[in-house]
Amino acid sequence: MTRVVLVRLAWMLPILFGVSVVAFALMRALPGDFAQAAAGTADLTPEALETIRRGLGLDQPIWAQYLVWLGGLASGDFGSSFVTHKPVLGELLPRLAVTAELTLMAGAMAMALGVFTGLASARLRGRTDWFVRGFNGLLLAVPNFVVATLIVLLAGLYFPELGIFNYTPFFTDPLGNLGSMLLPAFSLALAVSVTISENTRAAVLEVSSQDFVMVARAKGLRPGAILRNYLVRNALTPVITVTGLQLASLLGGSILIETIFTIPGMGQYLFDSITSRDYPVIQAIVLVAAVIVLLVNVLVDVAYARVDARVSYG
Amino acid sequence: MAEARSIVDPALDTRPIAEAPPARKRRHLLLALGIAMLLAMLLVTALGPWIAPYDAIATSPDSLAGPSTQHWLGTDSIGRDVLSRLIIGGRTTLLITFVAVSLAVAAGLVLGLVSGYVGGLADELIMRGLDIVFAFPVFLLAIAVVAALGPTVPNLILTIAIVYTPIMARVVRAPVLSVKRWDHVEAARSVGVGELRIAIVHVLPMVMSPILVQTSLTLANTIFTVTALSFLGIGPPPPDPNWGGMLSEARQFMELAPLTVIGPAVAIVFATLTFIVLANGLRDLLDVAGH
Repeated sequence: MTRVVLVRLAWMLPILFGVSVVAFALMRALPGDFAQAAAGTADLTPEALETIRRGLGLDQPIWAQYLVWLGGLASGDFGSSFVTHKPVLGELLPRLAVTAELTLMAGAMAMALGVFTGLASARLRGRTDWFVRGFNGLLLAVPNFVVATLIVLLAGLYFPELGIFNYTPFFTDPLGNLGSMLLPAFSLALAVSVTISENTRAAVLEVSSQDFVMVARAKGLRPGAILRNYLVRNALTPVITVTGLQLASLLGGSILIETIFTIPGMGQYLFDSITSRDYPVIQAIVLVAAVIVLLVNVLVDVAYARVDARVSYG
Repeated sequence: MAEARSIVDPALDTRPIAEAPPARKRRHLLLALGIAMLLAMLLVTALGPWIAPYDAIATSPDSLAGPSTQHWLGTDSIGRDVLSRLIIGGRTTLLITFVAVSLAVAAGLVLGLVSGYVGGLADELIMRGLDIVFAFPVFLLAIAVVAALGPTVPNLILTIAIVYTPIMARVVRAPVLSVKRWDHVEAARSVGVGELRIAIVHVLPMVMSPILVQTSLTLANTIFTVTALSFLGIGPPPPDPNWGGMLSEARQFMELAPLTVIGPAVAIVFATLTFIVLANGLRDLLDVAGH
């Protein structure tokens, strides 16, 4: 077990290194002059530009710049925003918490919906199965930002008193906060529920054909007990894995959803930074998101290996 | 035996679900539906400039008009005909999608074939390199690259090609690993066929099925990525229309003119659905195991 964890973590290092190189290279691939972008204006005397350049360490060779940047990252220095000139990390963390809440809520909703439809599909078969699969196919075709936009449109047309843009911070009003996150999380959850639903269906069908379920029936266990203790419990392992692996699309989707519902999370921060060309913020967010996804994927792998003795890593 | 089956809990029934005779007909219906939807979409967008009733970027004082015989889907906030913009916007959106996915498929074919067929160090290097790209959430990577390079059509195409290459390469590589050990490959080698020719003539055709299915799925995903990037304001530059941009622009006044939002929303869903239906039809036809 320890070996599995160590092997997985060791594999992460070269990938993390690669991710950091890509994130760094993205910043230096900016069209035009990086110093000019940092100053936010093209109207600069050559001397002023030179000062900024030296201040940012741009006069050093590129590998030295990379090492300095990497050293900064290690001590939590993600650089300063081009717009507010404040450290990025301080602004990023509270927004990360909001996005984490949205993502977790959406994940929970997707899981509830996906497990329910998947279970119904696998147990009832026939028409229900066809209906669920058709419904899933349709859901898959409606991007989350389209769902969100249509929800906003419907709410605006028919329930104008609902006030769906009233984001409430959690510590001001916990219930109000959860209420204001409900519709955004729902629009994010729909498409993700499809993957969970299809995996639940496949997993339940697979477990159903196992001998121990036959034995359970033969010894007279009630169908409800079999469902609870045998089918769901065993089918849940791959389902949890799949949910974990959906994190990347949840994080990506949260950018769109937060922008639409004006939720002050990481996604909206990214959107604002794109508009104002605040590159250090873009870089920090992409880096943080990639690292989170990477970490969660490793955790999922390790958890999977822990519950399923058949999995081994060489 | 039939009676014995009937008292068994349906969940214990181990027969594959889609084995009943009618399913076979249904399968091809799905593929036919997908092809019909694709042809309809291609026809409308290809004939775009000739069938669009108005100039897609010409403004008029008649803004936010409801549907009428002059403007079937009404007009947007600066009086442009929504239907014309949808038709012309589809050209941009689909062009980016098709070119980008073609590039991703081409790159994936080369990398996957080299990686799977040659193996060894080349395999290690290629797959680990792709792992790095894979580590980024697709959409975030696309945002970062487009934001850095600037939102132009060529940059969008390049970005999308880059983010979808790893998945294509993996889909190509996996079956190549087993096909290259098949007897006909050994036979070809024993009569002196060159390695490059074996890879292209004797291995590649054997692995086309999963590639076709994955290409169709990637097309669906790309529609999402292209329209979502445009929705965030880093799509093809205005005033030329595209579906994601139209949806985003229309949000401001959507309660006054719901069709300005519903039009592009339906177009995006239709395009995505087309490729999903097509992928499922192909999967059934070619008998590719679902993932």
